[in-house]
Order: sequence, then structure tokens, then C-alpha cells
Amino acid sequence: MLWLNTRMSDTIIIGMSGGVDSSVTAKILKDKGYKIECVFMKNWEGDEENCNAEEDYKDALSICDYLDIPLRSVNFSNEYWEKVFQYFIDEYAKGRTPNPDVLCNREVKFKAFLDYALDLGASKIATGHYAQIIETKDGFKLLKGQDQKKDQSYFLYLLGQEALSKSIFPLGNIEKITVRKLAEDSGLINYAKKDSTGVCFIGEQKFFKEFLKKYIPAKPGYIQTIKGKICGEHEGLTYYTMGQRKGLGIGGGHGNIEAPWFVADKDIENNILIVAQGHDNPSLFHQGLNADGIHWIKGSPPHSLENISAKIRYRQADQNCKIVELSFDKCKVEFKKPQFAITPGQSIVFYRGEECIGGAIINNRY
Amino acid sequence: MPYFDHSATTPIHPIVLHKMNSISEAHFGNPSSIHSSGRKSKAIIESSRRIIADLIHAAPNEIIFTGSGTEANNAVLWSLIFEQNKHVITSSVEHPAILKVLDSIAPFGVTYTKLPVNKFGEVNPTELEKAIQKNTGLISIMMVNNEVGTINPINSLIQVSKSKNIPFHSDSVQALGKTPLSVNDLGADYLSFSGHKFYGPKGVGFLYKKNESKLNPIIIGGGQESQLRAGTENISGIVGLAEAVRLAVQNLDSRILHLEELEATFKSSLSNYCTNVIYNGHPKKHVPGVISASFLNKKSDILLAELDREGIEVSSGSACGSGSVKPSFVLEEMGLSESQNISTIRISFGRSNTMADVNTLVNALAKYTNV
Repeated sequence: MLWLNTRMSDTIIIGMSGGVDSSVTAKILKDKGYKIECVFMKNWEGDEENCNAEEDYKDALSICDYLDIPLRSVNFSNEYWEKVFQYFIDEYAKGRTPNPDVLCNREVKFKAFLDYALDLGASKIATGHYAQIIETKDGFKLLKGQDQKKDQSYFLYLLGQEALSKSIFPLGNIEKITVRKLAEDSGLINYAKKDSTGVCFIGEQKFFKEFLKKYIPAKPGYIQTIKGKICGEHEGLTYYTMGQRKGLGIGGGHGNIEAPWFVADKDIENNILIVAQGHDNPSLFHQGLNADGIHWIKGSPPHSLENISAKIRYRQADQNCKIVELSFDKCKVEFKKPQFAITPGQSIVFYRGEECIGGAIINNRY
Repeated sequence: MPYFDHSATTPIHPIVLHKMNSISEAHFGNPSSIHSSGRKSKAIIESSRRIIADLIHAAPNEIIFTGSGTEANNAVLWSLIFEQNKHVITSSVEHPAILKVLDSIAPFGVTYTKLPVNKFGEVNPTELEKAIQKNTGLISIMMVNNEVGTINPINSLIQVSKSKNIPFHSDSVQALGKTPLSVNDLGADYLSFSGHKFYGPKGVGFLYKKNESKLNPIIIGGGQESQLRAGTENISGIVGLAEAVRLAVQNLDSRILHLEELEATFKSSLSNYCTNVIYNGHPKKHVPGVISASFLNKKSDILLAELDREGIEVSSGSACGSGSVKPSFVLEEMGLSESQNISTIRISFGRSNTMADVNTLVNALAKYTNV
């Protein structure tokens, strides 16, 4: 099992969000007889009406009371603000589309929280992530979750050996549907609670633009087709992402065919949003990309840079690719098949089979 | 399970509980009804009112029952929105049940000045005098601070307010049962109290309002509490409250003595083990049994968890702030460094604590803070 090297006398501290995954994590470890405690993390201060921290805390409290597990809470909103949110806003201000969750995992859940749990006397932390950790003679490896649809290794590629050696993911070899069933059968009140979607401090996608407007001034400009023809106005490049289809407001009269329009590129310098018509439009596809901030889970690059695959967004099927150039912190990647809407700011995460070996942040594409 | 968090709340006194249960079993009538059961309920409430009034030297019609100490505070502050003079002077270490209310009523034109406190947490009467403006309509300063137990120079503060003819309110929820209290001697216009802070039930409190002082009601309805606080009365809660006040006042001396003994034993015993402890609050002018202690280099959230595992319950900052390990603003206002602030716990002894409990606590603190 994943946690075989955890002694029964060791204390495991569970990151408890009040959601079904962390609740079932707690239930499983409790049933196995481990000494466990839960910690609820509050990572966001403020009155964003879409941030459900208070309701989530009530759920966490009820679940822990029901399972008879001590619950403590801790506030990492400073850490989150400085290490995750500032970056998030800076990236958007540059017209890129960041992924705050990968940073949240590295800086908050598997750094601040891990340190805190160790201070509290834990020897391991557990979370409800759908991913697996195995210990081999080459160190700790991160594997995809068994439930391919829920696999969250994409969000965990910034973890290192230290974090992996002290973490357990009891849901790694379970299907989500089984987790919900377990929750229901065990009488956990939140068995039907909706999975959190989108960025945790904003909530649903529909609030996104409003939220960003509070932090980044809107700078409206023109929308142009790839051929340079003005076909509309945008509210600010920040609010759009590569491949975006909805909310462009490009009416009829532009283009010849009744095909939808997609964001193809951003001309940051001239504040122009460039769009292309039709999902198959070649200008939406690129053969390769450059990425930086490269991180390898085992601490060093793999021996062979071929026969690897990558995801350039969460839930994408693995794409065959080759790392054609590699330096200390940068890489150049070429795909076997051209990729739709490669998005600067998002992460490219590398796999070899089921193993997640590392990743980097996409800088540009070609 | 030793419980040392009596400033957050207290367990209900068995005599109080017994009284409440017998009232709940026997009397259900609506005190506003004119039939026999209604009259009986009304009589019970009025008798409770008289009991409380006598014990604190007030007149019965000066006692207004509320749902909590927080509600009593709210009643006094919200009343201001109907008044001409909307400036309030308060202190920077009040409970959120004062400070957050003042922020909430800002849209109605209420402004306020927060007086600083000294390193012990006391407000200076001279500072109060200097802060008075032409349109100051209320002074609201707590009697006893909930985090460090410091007793404010309340008589001098009230003197200042009287000399300027400004109504004076004091959030007194931490005072009753730990310090003598006579509203006649005090001369305040309004005082807030909460039952569960002195072994009474939760969900019931009262406001003392001097007869000639004005109060504009904010909870409107069936005219209960002389039109000042509508809503069908919490009969058993009110009976329990009165009984708890009776026990607190009549046993005040022995309770104080007990708390002083616990505190003295704790401090002298701990000094044998811990050299890295600093006590906050006024060394003399504080209510007995409330101890704010900083254990340098030991973060309070970790210490609290370690004690909790041993079944020892204390708090850091004020209970309402739990769930977040932020530095306490009260300690900040008193000038504590951040590192000392987040290393501070509050121990508040109560009537059921024993010397053996103190021993348990000292041993645990010795174990976890000497690292």
C-alpha cells in the first residue's frame, strides 16, 4: 500500500476541506486505525461572496465530529496572498493565463501546511488528491490517480522529493464514484457535495471577469481577425484566454461561414485580441512551445528526453512529444501532433507512462 | 478533562440548571397572555428581574432582558442612529461586539474615536477627556478586558463622562462574578451582561439601563420589555440568568478567593519549570483567575493543539477569533511584539477547577514549552 512505511504510532494530519474527498480520506485512515487529526486551511481573507470558506469549515467540523477526529484550523491567507495570488494577478496583468492551483500545492498545501503539520507533531500529511506516490530505489515517484478522469497529478508536478516523502494520497487507487459511495455508505453528510470548480477564491467561471476587474484595470481594445480585419472590441486582454470561444461578441457579418470564433492570439503591445474562425483553423494550432521554470520531481532531468508525453492543460489526454532543447530551467518541446490553443502561463506537465516526471510553465509557442 | 477557558464560557451551575428545568417543565404560558398560565410566566419573569435588580443595586425597570451580551451592546449602539449626537468614544481593545457594530452603523452617520490603551490594556481618563467632541453622544468602554483580564479605571472614566454630561456604556460581560458591582456606586448609564459568562445559560443576557437614560429600541414587535426589546421571553433562560446572578453575587468573596488561590499557585508553581513566560495585563488591577501568558518561542496554535490532545482546554486570543491564528489585536494595541503576540495563551480558571487541575496544567506547560 502507499502508506506502508507509516507506523501506526505516527500521527497523520489530514488536510480537511469539508469536501467529500478529504472526508473520505479521513474516514479511510481512521478505519485503518491510524492516529489522525485534521486541519482546515483558510487561505483566503475577505468577503468574496463566492468563497465558501465558512460553509466549508462548518462541513469540516461536522464531518470531524461525526468521525470523532480532532479538527484544528490554520490561516495561510498571508502565504497564499504572497506566494500564489500576487503571481496570479501579475500573470493575468501580462495577458497570460496562470494556473494558481499548481502553485497553491507547492507553496501552501505541500509547504506551509506540511511544515505546520510537522510542527504539530505529524510524521505524514494526507490529502484527498487523486494521485499516487510510490517509493522506489530511485526515490519517490508521483503516479497518476487510478481514476483517469479525476487524475490530479497535473496539479502536483511542482512537488519535490521532500514533499512526496511525507505525503500520502489514500484516494490514489480509488475511483471517484467509489469515493462518493463510501461517503454515502459511511453516513458522511457531504457525500453529494459538489466538487469545487474553478479557482477556489473566485468560485464559478461566471464571476471571473468581475473578480479580475477589481485587481487589474480594464484596458479595452480592438478584436482583429488573423487577416488583420477589425471585427469587434474586447474589454481587456486579461479577460480572454487562448482558444476561448464564449463571450467574444463577434456577430454575423464577419467571416463567410457560420463557424464560431476562437481566440487565436494576443498582441499585447498593441492591445489587440486576435481571433480565428472555426475550431480547425490552423492558426489555433502550434507544433511546439518554449517553457521555463522547469521542475523535475526526482530532482534532476530524465536520462532520455524522448518517448515522453505531456499535458498542456488539466484533463487533456497525454500528447506524444519530445524535449528538443533543455537547459537548467528552460525547455523547448515539440509535439507529434499540432496542439490546440497552447496557452502561455499554463503548465506543461511531462509523463512517462503513468508516472508524472515534472513540468514547466509555458512561455510561448511556435 | 480540565477546562481553563472560563472567559470564553462557563459550564452551567447545577443549581441554575435545576431551576431552569423545573421552570421549563411547569410553565409554558406566554407572558403576554392575560390568562392564568400567561400571568404565571409574567410573574416569574418579573420576579427574576427584581432578583437581579436587587443584587446589583438597580431598580427592576432598569433591567432589560436580551438574547446575549452582544445584543445588549448592539441595543445601546444602534440606539444612537436616532440621536442628534452620533460620535462615540470607545477603546481600541473592545470586543468585536462593540467595534464591528460601530463600523456597521457608520452608514447612519455614527462616527467614533478609538482610545489607545497602555501596556497593561488600560484606558487613560485624561485621554478620554481630550477625545470628547461637541457631538459626542456616547462613551463605551469595557469594564474588564476579555483577553488579559485588566480592569479599567472605570470610576474615573465615568467621572469624566458625567462632568461632560455624556451617556456612558460599559461592556461588563467579563466583570460580573469576578469583581464587586453596584450600579448605584458606579453611575454608568448602560451596562451589558451575559449569562453564560458566570455559570448561567447561553442565549440570555441583560442590559442595565439607568431609568433616566434613553434607549431607542431596535427589535420591534409585541412590546415586551417595556417596548424596548420585543420577542416572547425566554422564561427558563431568564430564571436561570437570575439564579446565576444570585450565585455570582452572593458567593462573590469565596469565588474570588478560590480564583486568586488558583492563580497564585499556578504562577508560583510554573516559575519552578518555566523561565520563558511573560504575563500580560495589569499585574494588580485584573480580575482573578484570568491569565494571559506568553511562552516565548512557542507558537500558541501548536501549544493549544498539544494541550488539547491531553484534554487541557485553554485559548489564544479571544474565543471568537479561533479558527484563525492571527495575532490578537488586543495584545497588538498593548504594544506586544508580533512574536510575543502569537506565543500567547489565555488561561481562565473557574469555580470547578482544583489544585490538582492546576498541577496538570503546569506539568503540561512545562513539558511543551521548555523546548
